[in-house]
Amino acid sequence: MKHHLQPALRAAARPALRASAALAVAILCAAAARADGKLAIKAGKIITAPGAPAIEKGVIVIENGRIVAVGKDVKIPWDAPVIDAPNMTAFPGYVEAHSSRGMDRPNESPEIVIPFLTVRDSIDPVNFYFEDCLRAGITTINVQQGNDCIVAAQGMVVRPTGLTIDEMAVKLPAGLKMSATPRRGASAATQAQSLRRVFGDLRRYLEQVVQEKKDGSDRARREALYQGRDLEGEKSKGRAMEGTAWKVQGLELVPRGEIDEKQEPLLALVEGKMPAFIWCGRPADVHLAIELARDNGFLAKTTLVIDPSCWKAADAIAAAKTPVVLQGGVMHVEFDVLTGKEIETFVPKILHDKKIPFALNSVNSTSQSLWFQAAMCVGHGLPRAVALEAITTAPAKMLGLDKRVGSLEVGKDGNVLLLSGDPLSVTTWVERVVIEGRDVYDRSKDQRVQHLIAGKQPANTSAMGAAEIDPASVCCDGSDEKAHAKHLEEQKRAKDKGEGEDKKDDGKDDKKDEKKDGDKHSGHGHSGGADHDEGERR
Amino acid sequence: MSATIWALATLVALVPTQDAKKDAGKNGKKDERRSWTLSAERVYTAAGDPIEGGEVVVSDGKVRGVGKGGGGDLEVFAITPGLVDLSIRIDRGFLSVEQSNEITPHVRALASVDVHDEAWTRAVRGGVTTAMVNVPDRNVIGGLSVVLKTAGAATAAARVVKHDAVLFGAIGSAPSAMNHPAFGRPEDFYSRRPTTRMGVEWEWRKSLFEAALARQEPSRAKAGAAELQRALDGKLPLMIEAWASQDIRTAVFLVEEARREGWGNPTLIVDAAAEAWREPQLLVRSKASVVLPPFVAEGRTRDQAFFAWETAAKLDALGVPFALSGHNPGALEDRLCYQPGYAMRGGLSFASALAAVTVNPARMVGVDDRVGSIEAGKDADLVLWSGEPFQPFSKVIGVLVDGRLIVDPRIESAPNSSNK
Repeated sequence: MKHHLQPALRAAARPALRASAALAVAILCAAAARADGKLAIKAGKIITAPGAPAIEKGVIVIENGRIVAVGKDVKIPWDAPVIDAPNMTAFPGYVEAHSSRGMDRPNESPEIVIPFLTVRDSIDPVNFYFEDCLRAGITTINVQQGNDCIVAAQGMVVRPTGLTIDEMAVKLPAGLKMSATPRRGASAATQAQSLRRVFGDLRRYLEQVVQEKKDGSDRARREALYQGRDLEGEKSKGRAMEGTAWKVQGLELVPRGEIDEKQEPLLALVEGKMPAFIWCGRPADVHLAIELARDNGFLAKTTLVIDPSCWKAADAIAAAKTPVVLQGGVMHVEFDVLTGKEIETFVPKILHDKKIPFALNSVNSTSQSLWFQAAMCVGHGLPRAVALEAITTAPAKMLGLDKRVGSLEVGKDGNVLLLSGDPLSVTTWVERVVIEGRDVYDRSKDQRVQHLIAGKQPANTSAMGAAEIDPASVCCDGSDEKAHAKHLEEQKRAKDKGEGEDKKDDGKDDKKDEKKDGDKHSGHGHSGGADHDEGERR
Repeated sequence: MSATIWALATLVALVPTQDAKKDAGKNGKKDERRSWTLSAERVYTAAGDPIEGGEVVVSDGKVRGVGKGGGGDLEVFAITPGLVDLSIRIDRGFLSVEQSNEITPHVRALASVDVHDEAWTRAVRGGVTTAMVNVPDRNVIGGLSVVLKTAGAATAAARVVKHDAVLFGAIGSAPSAMNHPAFGRPEDFYSRRPTTRMGVEWEWRKSLFEAALARQEPSRAKAGAAELQRALDGKLPLMIEAWASQDIRTAVFLVEEARREGWGNPTLIVDAAAEAWREPQLLVRSKASVVLPPFVAEGRTRDQAFFAWETAAKLDALGVPFALSGHNPGALEDRLCYQPGYAMRGGLSFASALAAVTVNPARMVGVDDRVGSIEAGKDADLVLWSGEPFQPFSKVIGVLVDGRLIVDPRIESAPNSSNK
């Protein structure tokens, strides 16, 4: 392993710290990916799932990316590389249920109904965000477009390793992103109408295609051929419309390949085959989101991405039985309109009490990361297991990946964190990360962490060569201050010796200034002189 | 007849008082008592080792005793002293900046304190019981800071623990940001000096020099000369906000120049010293103490200063007295009660982290005779915790200020019903 790593790190020496560190981690994964598909982890403690009793001195064996054995008395295959971590706690990798980072830009503009686009084309594998996810222990991320949209692109679930999008891909498409909150510059009424019209348009389009087919027109077919779309195999067959909400009769007449690709993802949504993630920035938006999903038959596939204020619509969410992703912190803060009093409402407790499945959401890599938010949930009265579920098994289920990620069980992906202590303690660091059996992160080799903790600059990344300066040696002796004092002393002595000379010099300077200024008025020349006098007095 | 009514009335009045001990708080009413016996699995006094299974006895707003014991009026997981924040930053922004001059050492922060600001209740909820209010950093020498309790009396003056605790000023980009000369443009707030960092340093040196000179020639004394002279004499600590390394150097240089030139021997407190880790020896040499700003995940703070996670641990190892501060933010996770946790994440020990939000700041501004630790005779300012203090999985569930239960652990923080 080591000899793979060294040249990789050396190759990664780049002027920009971010780029170099990103590359280092990324190349590390690529190197690890070449290892034969086995890995064994010996950990001081293994917590297989939220609420599970800890296994002391346990072993996890991963083969071809999947966990094949976990427990106390597990035999390690003779040919498996071993990570020996007697002082660490193994825990399932955290799952980010919704994130709009890691793309070149989170929102499209001005196009706002764009279900035919996919974030696959937007994700930048070397984006610093993915590297930071490893530090925070996040091993599965649902990347969705931003909230400023009507119907945005199709999202994608990725793992934060790999230099290409295909290496990162876990699930595509992961769902369509929508927003029930007015996009920038729009009113709530416009937003609601725009959302409804998307499905009205879809219905009219489907009816038109069926009618044209009945009329013997092959406009849709010609367009499909013109666009070079696939009309073979399944795509050549027509299928009656599925779904529970509304149906267009006669759709079986139209080969599926002939359906406009702009409308195809929306049709999948109405047929109940595409998950939806709907952003609700205000409580009122929750009702619109639920109505829209119910009217168009995708409520069962809907996850609401909610602002903390949406706890006020908790009853509606509970009745609709939709899971939620809580975005933007665990505490809702508002000011009473009458008294001006600040009111804090701890939202996860309400969600838990109303039996609404929820996932937490991180903003930055430390104080607002998944583990920290889960810890705060415990602080505010949630059972520990529930808080941990909200960053592991609950989001896994929302993404339809509950058979793959969220816990350390035989058959699941080998996504393992090795932590220096309790997952929720502020002093715990993510020491190592294994994703699908690949050893992708080691804190002891993480230059960025060294920089964050101790301010250490990685070699060749500082313009001033600051890396070479030992901070402890700087000005301990006060030599530069002494030099400055000496300089002041000399000035003083010079002044005491011949004040006349100084005055002469001043006079010359003034004349020069006047000459230079020429015709221009030099009104502040005098005040400049006064300042100079002040300086002399020192 | 009237005697019977009187007796009945007394009885009626007495019954709830008896029950109050058990039920107080349940109906959401404030408990006005100032005498308590509080017990906890751990009492961290910040004056010696933690006490396992301890109790704190409070009477009339003062701590009467602390030791082993249990079964008090309130039982919680842990008790610590009330937190002390030397840089609370509860002000009205620009409206709290005295714009008549950039050197205003004689201005008192107390006059701008509004006890009805909601930020005070937020501070108390986060466990802060004593705070120092500084004049905002838009003036070079801002004025005199005041140390006060965060709750209790209805007026700011009645909450004061110490008047004129430090003389506060700033070095860095803040005092000169966006300033420009007045000519050619309409007069506004920015039409003033200084316009650069160089100008800021110059104003500082000039002010200290002139204050020293005014000792011999009192007729030359400008407004604020007396305050500057007290600062030069070391009777009034000089607290200078300086985020970046270059600005911390300037602060140290100012103080050392004053000593070298014989102007006096000022006591230096560097506020918001994010880059204290770069040249900690400077702080040792100049005998400065330090107030650290709130931690930020990515390390970047104001003035491009990089705040390394191990700063507190490093200062602790070198013996530089330091305190943590919260700046009283809106975001939950940035509050002072979580700051010691972040410092521990950077390698600081629990005991030092506790001291950095209790005894250290109290000592730095000379209010440790009243607050900062749990000891007999001191003010009963206490924080009650649901779990291990400073951990994100723990919560401040109760706060006492001068023996008054300001945050009551028996009242569950219910969601606002009026908005349902």
